[in-house]
Parts: sequence; structure tokens; C-alpha cells
Amino acid sequence: MSQNILRQTAEAQFAQEIEEIKKQDKHARPENWLLSPHAVVTYLMGGKLANGFHVSPKYIGNRRLMEIAVATLTTDRALLLYGLPGTAKSWVSEHISAAISEDSGLVIQGTAGTSEESVRYGWNYAQLLSAGPVPEAIVETPVMRGMKEGKIVRVEELTRIGSDVQDSLITILSEKMLPIPELNTKVMAVRGFNIIATANNRDKGVNDLSSALKRRFNTVILPVPETVEEEVEIVQQRVASFSKSIDLAIEKPILEEISRVVTVFRELRSGVSADGKTKLKSPSGTLSTAEAISVMNSGLSLAYHFGDASLKADDLASGLIGAIIKDPIQDKIVFQEYMETVLKQRDGWKDIYRACREII
Amino acid sequence: MSVHLLGVRHHGPGSSRHVLNALAEIQPDIVLIEGPPEGEAMLSWATHADMQPPVALLAYVPDNPQQAVFYPFTVHSPEWNSILYALRNQIPVRFIDMPLAHGFAMEWQETSLNSKKSELTEHVRKNPISYLAEIAGFDDPEEWWEHRFEIVQQPYEVFEAIAESMTALRQTLPADDRREEIREAFMRKSIRIAQKEGFERIAVICGAWHVPALAHLPKQREDDALLKNLPKTKVESTWIPWTNDRMAFESGYGAGVESPGWYMHHWKHPDDHGTLWLSHTAHVFRENHVDISSAHIIEAVRLAGALAGLRNLSRPGLKELNEATVAVMCMGEPVLMKVIYRELIVGKAFGQIPEGTPQVPLQRDLEMLAKRFRIKVVPEQKTLKLDLREENDLQKSILLHRLQLLDINWGTMETVSGKGTFKEEWTLRWYPELTIKLLEKAPWGNTIEEAATKYLKSTAGKCARLDEITPLVQNAIPADLPVALGAVMQKMDELAATTSDISMLMDAFAPLAQVSRYGNVRKTDRESIDLIVTTIFYRIIAGLPAGCTGIDDEQAAVMTDKIKDVNQAILMLEKQDLTEGWTTTLETIFHSDRSAPFIQGYCCKALYDNRLLDMDSTFNAFSKALSLNNEPSASANWLEGFLNDAATVLILDDVIWGVVNDWLLSLNDETFLQVVPLLRRTFANFSNVEKRKIAGRAKQGQSGKLIPQIIDIDPQRAAQVFPILELLMAIK
Repeated sequence: MSQNILRQTAEAQFAQEIEEIKKQDKHARPENWLLSPHAVVTYLMGGKLANGFHVSPKYIGNRRLMEIAVATLTTDRALLLYGLPGTAKSWVSEHISAAISEDSGLVIQGTAGTSEESVRYGWNYAQLLSAGPVPEAIVETPVMRGMKEGKIVRVEELTRIGSDVQDSLITILSEKMLPIPELNTKVMAVRGFNIIATANNRDKGVNDLSSALKRRFNTVILPVPETVEEEVEIVQQRVASFSKSIDLAIEKPILEEISRVVTVFRELRSGVSADGKTKLKSPSGTLSTAEAISVMNSGLSLAYHFGDASLKADDLASGLIGAIIKDPIQDKIVFQEYMETVLKQRDGWKDIYRACREII
Repeated sequence: MSVHLLGVRHHGPGSSRHVLNALAEIQPDIVLIEGPPEGEAMLSWATHADMQPPVALLAYVPDNPQQAVFYPFTVHSPEWNSILYALRNQIPVRFIDMPLAHGFAMEWQETSLNSKKSELTEHVRKNPISYLAEIAGFDDPEEWWEHRFEIVQQPYEVFEAIAESMTALRQTLPADDRREEIREAFMRKSIRIAQKEGFERIAVICGAWHVPALAHLPKQREDDALLKNLPKTKVESTWIPWTNDRMAFESGYGAGVESPGWYMHHWKHPDDHGTLWLSHTAHVFRENHVDISSAHIIEAVRLAGALAGLRNLSRPGLKELNEATVAVMCMGEPVLMKVIYRELIVGKAFGQIPEGTPQVPLQRDLEMLAKRFRIKVVPEQKTLKLDLREENDLQKSILLHRLQLLDINWGTMETVSGKGTFKEEWTLRWYPELTIKLLEKAPWGNTIEEAATKYLKSTAGKCARLDEITPLVQNAIPADLPVALGAVMQKMDELAATTSDISMLMDAFAPLAQVSRYGNVRKTDRESIDLIVTTIFYRIIAGLPAGCTGIDDEQAAVMTDKIKDVNQAILMLEKQDLTEGWTTTLETIFHSDRSAPFIQGYCCKALYDNRLLDMDSTFNAFSKALSLNNEPSASANWLEGFLNDAATVLILDDVIWGVVNDWLLSLNDETFLQVVPLLRRTFANFSNVEKRKIAGRAKQGQSGKLIPQIIDIDPQRAAQVFPILELLMAIK
């Protein structure tokens, strides 16, 4: 059955790695943790174990940030991952909860419509009507389940949730308990419970955290990749896992194409060409690493299904333009300028220039 | 007889603790320290009650104080603690490095090896401990040092371990620096001397790097050969106060520390696991209006502890504490850490030296003056407001101006808002480098006044152009240096005679007129100044009309500004002959067709202001200049020159308003449309408020028209007012 799953959860996809790390893990484990904090960092950053087993890196970047994130979860503060869209916030939170609780499925997706019932608990109304307020009539939320089982709960896009609903987390985080006044009872959190929330910088104004809630979180800002090499590595790794998971047989080495896409993204993001000579306008989108990955993935699919299975500039162009031009008027001008001033001049980039030219 | 080599990391608190423990164990009867022997005489001051580190031993060549070296010490420097140990236990303490007498004298040849190797060598030598730490996988050498050596119980063993690792390092890296070899030969020589003198337990405190070279004494002959025929120069030394932010400054040892504030904290509170440090952090944040609760501190301490555990450290270091601070207190935003870096990690501590420490006379004079004026010579920024009408404040201002003349910019003058020239505002901040500058000026005299006088004279003597010497006059006046000012004037006269550049002369005129007019020159020979003023003036009026012809618009504007300055100065001087000469010149320019229109416009206005041109002539000149047959650009320039900065005049002066208004009304529609662009250009320079007022006045319509004012004055009643009026205006 698992063969048909479109995307495996982290704990399933990397089950073997977690198993091997667990075997080698000699450090003290906090209660209800699958691995020790050390081992969790190893799982995230990758490396070689004592027995020679190779652990793949999940997060490519500053190790210290991951150490802070994991260390935070050992204290009684929750963790808030902050950053631009596409800087691997959710990815990191998924892997951390996989490595700590072996369950990355306790997720609340924050939206403007997320209600208190989906954070605390809801009622099964049929039950409620027939049997009155009894424990069986309660519909558990991921938070409640996490508290009972001592697991990590993830809250995605915390700042999109309305402020009143956000604040219902305060008691849960500081007193580690969830009162159910209707039953005159409460759920006490078991050791191992904690929350990882993600929020992005760009939407800061949407529903800024109240200072009371802010105080319950330690914040780690995940930056955009520092160097081209780092970014290329991230894209390459994710693209490789994509072509594996949907069986694309692309033979040709695609590293060069990756570095071209990453270069285009970085140049537009920073507003200056890679050689520092040409000033550029930045488009309205964030142009994150995640988008670079999806450009590569769609390029690969195009090449596989409609092309001759080798990745060409034409396959990338449409994805590239789709990612960059979010605003049909402003961004189009930005990209046209970029094409004429940078792409056209660059040696060996004529194919990309021509491909983009045809579409735009 | 035993020699104990204690290799240290300069300024390392860990090293310091180990050294003290080792000294307590060894009980030496002499302490030898890596430092310049010239400083030995100054060591006794270290235990003085008023001596407060951070301080630095400054060694310099008296003939050329720019050649100077600082040896900074702070409370956690191993060298400092060794000195204190020796002095308190009354055992001899010596500095055994190469005497600076040779160090300064020698021109050291650059070692030109292949660059890659020497880069590595350079790196390792600069901070061998950081190199070892890198190998061990730490990016912070102090962190490695702490974690590696702090836990060792027997302090002496630590030093053996250090010696061993340094030996290993030095064996792999070839010695290629002659200076280093000579330095180490000197150190060995001093050890030999101590041995010969019969000291039993010799403790040597030196940079870890040197330990292997001192461990085995080669034959004395070899060292003597190295030390033969070294050049020499005279060196003097003194203590100067130092600051924490300069501890990072590489000097003397060639090794600085990046976080002196943290080290100081670590030295004072070796058992602090972050609680105290983070409380200080919270305090600093609160002072800077960032709300931090005690709960934040608790959480930060926990996170730092958890991080240390995760990294297998026995306790959180600065990095863990900083990261915890960012995550817990700053919402992940590292920008806020800047204030922590400035206030805590580097720290604002500055040292103090006892009174009576040997100093050069000039230094002593400055200190005395500062004391008399109750200004502290400290590296903190301070604002000083002076009211020059008060004698004491005037003296302060004079002192600061004199120091500025000597290039010692202790104070910088701020522009004061408000009216009056009797106020001055200074921002004071002393930098240790200023001490060097002060020493540099020491040969010029024993007091600030004397030095400033001589220095100013010599600077003036070197000037070759009039525009070089003019600013000197301006600076010399507030510094109250009559003798020097006389010399400057004389030089100025000489230069003025050879200058043909009219604008340069005009620049010089205004400050000179000031000297002549105001009392600053009470001791100056006023007649000689007046003579210079007069000669320069006649040179100006001789050349000015010609200087106003054949120049472009931009130059004309510049020239007008200068004419304006001179005009002001002439008005201020109130001298009949000068004023007459000046008006004649203005008239000449005004009537000459070849003068630049911009300047002509201005001259017309100036003449009108001086009541030398009546209303009708002004009106005529106005319409003549703006008649349509003229070049439009010339007309525009003329108008601009006339109304240049004169919005107020236009608003308040009925006559000018009348002239402009009448002229405008006299234009027919067609002509008006043609001159509109010219007017626009002029009026564009006025501020919005001014424009609004002008518009308001224009709106009143006919009131602009000149109406001869007939005021019915009753002579009898007026006569009653006169006595009081005369009194008020001090006419009698």
C-alpha cells in the first residue's frame, strides 16, 4: 500500500535512519523522546554514525540554529520557527517532530478560519445531544492528543490564526494543561509534549502574537541560504528525492541547470547580478528556495513526459516564469529587464534567454 | 634551582587563574614577564591604590612619539596578575622581552617566503591557541581553552600540556623570523642572568608560543652572537588609561581579545553559569526600553544550559548565552544584540592611573588645566556647553581651541541653535591615541599655550598660499594666541602681496575684518592688522570690477557670495575711507555693461541698501535690466542677483515692493507671458512660507502701489518722547 502514497511522512521515509541513529544513541533521552537531543541534531544535520551508517542531511545550513531549536524543546518553552516563505520552516518542524515523537502528524494548519474548537477540543454533537456532556462526546484535537501522549504538536502559520484563538494556547503552554470546564475536568500534559509553531516574516502584520504568547516561545529565525553552493545543494537534494519518489528516469546530470535556476532566483531576490555589476529590480514574490525546487521538479516532469527525458532550457522556462511573474504587469517588466540586461549578455545562457523570450 | 615556564594566552582569564595557582604552588623568588625592560621602572605603580585597569604601558621614542607601542593590561591579564603577585610578595619582577630601544631602532626585513606557508605560519604565530582550537573543532579559542584546561586540577600540569603542544606546533612550522629569534634570545639571556644571580625558583610568564624556545637554553655564545651590534634608540614609557573597546586593539603582544567585557565578568564570577550574565543582559535591555521579564531570564538560563548539554560542554559559554538571549529575549532578531555587544560583551570600562605617574610636561599641563576646569579626561562621550561671557567658560573654550590647533581633537564643536555668538557646545571624548598625539607635540613646548603658539607659528611659516593661511587665522582667534596670531598676520601680508587671485583675497578679508573689529585682539598689535586689512582691501577693489567680467553663471553666483561677505565686513568695520572705496567699486560694477548680470543685480540691490541709489534710479535700473530686448537669460540672472535671498526685503520693504510691483504692472500681457519664466526661476528659490507671504501681499492689490506716507506728527508731543528714545538707543 505504501507504494502508492504520494508523499510519505518524514518518519516513514527516514524510518531506517531513525532506527540506526537510535541504535547508536548513547546520550540521555528526555522522557518520551525517541532520540536524545544530540541524536536529533545528528538526524537533522546528517553525518556518519559510529558504525559507518550515513545519515542524510535534512537541513542544510547553520548547525547552531538546529541546536538552539532542539535545545528549546528540552526546556519548557515552545519553539517558534520564523522566516520567509520557503525557508524550510515546516520541513524542519516536520523532521524534528518525526525524530522526537516518531509522529509528525499532529498538525494544526493555521488559517484565518481556525477556531478554538480545532485548537482545544470540539464536540460530537450527536453524542452530546443523546448522552449529554460526557467524555465520549469530546472530539480530540491534535493538541489534546499530543498532551495526552507526550508528543510534539505542530502549528503551521501561527500568525494567520486570529488573535483570540492564538491566545487559547497560553494556558496550554504555560500550565501544560487543558481545562474542560463542561466536564469539570482537565487534560494534563504528559512529559514530551511541546509545540513547534511556524510563522512567516512577510505576514507579520496579519495577526501579530500577543506579548503574553510571545513570551511562551523561543524564536529561531531560519535565514535564506547564505551561499549559492548551499542553495544548489538544497535544491539538488530535494529534486533527487522527487525524481525518486515519482519514478522519473532523468539521466543527464542536472546540477548545472539547478545552479542556473538558483542563480536567477538569487539575483532577482538580492536585486543585483551575481558579478555585482548590474542593479536589478526585485519582483513581488519571495523567490524562496522552495520555489526553486518546484521549478526544477516541474521542469523534470515536462522533460520526462513531453520531452526526450533530458532537461532542456525550454522545460525550465515556463516554471521559471511562473515562479517569478506573480503580478502580470509589474513583475513582467522586472523580468523582461532582467532578461535583456543579464540573461542575454551571459555566455552560454542563450538557450534560457530564447526559451523565456518565446513565452513572454 | 628551577625555571618554571608558564605559557599563557594574553588577556585570558583562564590563563590568569592558572598562573596565580601555579605561582602559589611554585613560590618563586623572582618573576620574569614577557614585556619591554624599559617599562620595569613603571611597574611599582601597579599596586598604587588609584591604579585601575584597564591601563596600558605606553613606550615611545621621545623624538618621534608616533613610534610607540601599547601594552594593555586588564584585571584578567595573566601578566598583570603576575606583576601584582610579585609586588605584593615583595619579590623582584622583571620584563625580559627585547628592549624596545632595539625594537624601534631596527628596520625589520620582511620575511619573503612563499606566501602560502608564511600565511599559515603567521596565523599560527598570531594566536597558536586558536590554531589548536580550530584543530579541535572549536571556532572560539577561549572556549576551547576554558573547556580544555579549566577542569584540570593541577595547574602546573596545564602548563606542561601547553608547552608540549606548542613544541609540536613549532616543530612543524619552520622558524623564519629573525625578530622572533632575537626576542627569544633576549628572554633566554634574562633567564641566564637570573640564574647567575642565584635565584632559586624562577617563574617565567610568557606567551605560550615562546615556551619551547625558552625550555632549553642553548650555549650562551649563540645567543650573544644574535644580540651583537643591534642598533639602539632612546625610549621612554608611561602608564596611560585604556578602554575595554580597545582591548581588542592589537599592539605590543600582537594579540587582542574580542570580548573583554565577558572575560572580565568571567574573571570576577568564575562560578556564574549564566544567571548573573543574563540578568545583566536583561538589565541592559530594560535600560534600552526593551521589555524583559524575570521569566525571560529564567528561560534563557535554561536554554543556555540545554545548549551547553547538547554540545557536551560543562557549562554555557558566551556563544550559548548569546544564542539563548537571541532566541528568548529578542524574538530571534539578532539586531538587538548590538546593544549587548557594546554594553556588556565589550563593555564600557575604562581605566584610571594614579596622580603623579611620570609624564611629559605637556601632558602634565593638560591634566592640570583639566583639573582646574573640572573636566575629566576620560574616553566617555560628554557634552560641554560654554557661555563665553563667563571667564571660566571662556578659558575652557580657549583650551579646547588650542588643542584643536595642535591636532588633538579632544572636543568637536557642535553648531549651537539659538542666537548669539557667546555660546559654544562641545562634544568631548578622549581616545588613547590622542595621548600619542599629545606626546608628539611635546617637543613644541612645556605648556599647551606655548606649544600651540610655536606650532601655529611653524605651520603658518609653511603656508605657501593665501587660502591655506586664512583658516589658520580663523582658528587662531578663538585660541587666544596673540603672539602666534601676529606671526600669522605677517605671513598673511606677505602672501597677499603675491596673490593675484581676487577671490582668495576676498576670502581672507572677512576673517581679518573680524579680528580688527572685535576685542579678541586686545593684545595684538592692532595697527599692523589694520594695515593688512587696508592693503588687502585696496588690492580687492583694484581687481574686483575686472574679476566680475567674462565669468559664467556659476562663477558669478560664487563671486556674489564673496562680494556679499566683503560687503558685510565693510559695514561692520564702519570706516569712512573703506566704505567710500567700496561703494565706488560697486557702482563701477553696476554701471559696467560687461559685468556679469547676476553680480550687477546684486550690486544694484547693495547700493540701494546703502541708500546710494534712490527709488527712481532703482526703478529705472530695474526696467532697463529686464527690458525685453535683453537676452532673457541675462535678465533672469539680473533679477536673481537682485532678489537673491531677499524675500524678506520684498515682503517688508515698501520701496522694493513698489519697484517690483510697478514694473510688473507696467508690462503688457504679451511681455508678461515672456518674463514669467524668468520670474519663476527667481521665486523658486524662496521658501514656501516666504512665497505665501509674498502672494498674500500681492493679493492686497493696490496697497503695493507706492503711496507717499503723510503722517501727521505733532512736534510738541514728539519732543516729549525724544529723551526716553535717546536713552533707549544710547545716543547720548
